[in-house]
Amino acid sequence: MNFKNHLMFILPLMAILLGIEFFFVFDRVTKSYEESLTKSYTMFVSTKKPMKFSDFKALDSKIATVELVKRDYIENKMKEMINRSNMKKSLKLLPYFYNLGLESYLKIEIIEEIKKELEKNKNIITIETFSNSYTTSYKLFSFIKLIFNIFIIFMIVVSLLLILKQMEIWKFKHKERMKIMEIFGASVFMRSRVLFIMALIDALLSTLFVSAIFILIKIKWAMNSGIEMISKHQEFLFTSNDVIILFSSAILIVLITVYIVVFSSKGTIE
Amino acid sequence: MSNIIHAENLTLSYKKDQEDILSNISFNVHKGEFVFITGLSGSGKSTLLKSIYGELKPKMGSLTVVENDLVTIKSKQLEKFRRKLGIVFQDYKLINEWTIEENIRLPLKIAKATEKTQLGRMPLLLAHANLFDILERYPLELSGGEQQRVGVVRALVHEPLLILADEPTGNLDAESSAVIWKLLGEASSLLDITVLVVTHQIPKIFAFPHRHLTIKEKGLYEL
Repeated sequence: MNFKNHLMFILPLMAILLGIEFFFVFDRVTKSYEESLTKSYTMFVSTKKPMKFSDFKALDSKIATVELVKRDYIENKMKEMINRSNMKKSLKLLPYFYNLGLESYLKIEIIEEIKKELEKNKNIITIETFSNSYTTSYKLFSFIKLIFNIFIIFMIVVSLLLILKQMEIWKFKHKERMKIMEIFGASVFMRSRVLFIMALIDALLSTLFVSAIFILIKIKWAMNSGIEMISKHQEFLFTSNDVIILFSSAILIVLITVYIVVFSSKGTIE
Repeated sequence: MSNIIHAENLTLSYKKDQEDILSNISFNVHKGEFVFITGLSGSGKSTLLKSIYGELKPKMGSLTVVENDLVTIKSKQLEKFRRKLGIVFQDYKLINEWTIEENIRLPLKIAKATEKTQLGRMPLLLAHANLFDILERYPLELSGGEQQRVGVVRALVHEPLLILADEPTGNLDAESSAVIWKLLGEASSLLDITVLVVTHQIPKIFAFPHRHLTIKEKGLYEL
């Protein structure tokens, strides 16, 4: 099998592996972004009487943290405005304020559901979800991710079609040889050994090339990218586990391809 | 005399719902026999041969070849069965990307014969077929006659129990054909290998003892 034939198989295989790796990179970045959003996000709740964490948790299990907002600042402000006797009365009327943290990044619809659950409690006076600031940047990010995923799927489909086309060439090229070997009693493995070896070499080369591209991006580009999340977490771009996943995917694709060639080459000899 | 091929009420067709190509035929081929099967073009000679090497399953009846029931045979067993055969095709069916030596060694490689065994068998056959000088060449560099000599040696090299030949001289001139008939005749008479040849006509020059069966109107008859 000549170099051109190898390349015609390696390139689409590389495109698929690039797609898979891009998906992983985006997935890791998204998860990290969601985590940072979750960490910085709180719902603001005011209540008539003090409430404990367990009280909030009982209202909705997705609430992960409860922080009482200190009343000192409010009290100091009030002191400036009203006299001592009225102060005591006013303080009794002043609600308790809480910042509620969530266990993970949740969609705005779910946050609204939590809000509804909290509103059922008569002790709770007001709830502010700050949903606009919470979702605006994330929506943009999700949109980019969606577009990118569509592109990846498209790239994988086109690449698979190219591999199928290449497979037709393989089939044409090897059908006669495999048929002759079959007639003389060669096992499936023996008559397809050449194809398996070639395909495994192509799978290995594709994995190495794709890994090299991402390792290069990680080493050369990540630090100076100017993207905080990437420069802080360079492992988002490539991990050692990715090599295993990429190689396994490549092996799976080539095995399926070779088996299709082998079994479609069976049949009556003309 | 033991049967190498035993067919009883054998019916063949390419698809179940298609017309039968051969219908209800019965015959035996004994060990060491040289059998010609003749018939007109399209009479079903090659189809019968395909069923004998397990390429086409019988539609009805029974077919036993080298103690293998080809009606019920499974793929693994079929592989082992085929290693006991040597097949010669009209269009040679050599692997063009391989050298002549690699082509000849194919059945030995499949049978996982040791290098010592391979070297032991090959020289005599190569000398007999006058192929020593072209071992390093490729099939497409050879004449039709040379290619078919390679095909016959490939069919003989692993000492098969049965040689099947499908119009082995169909593409050859008279001189090359004579060499092929001599090689096949000697395989039967000297090596005691059973040979079954399908051809449209028995060559007049063929001087070895043989049986003659003919296919006519979907039936097989002894002449």
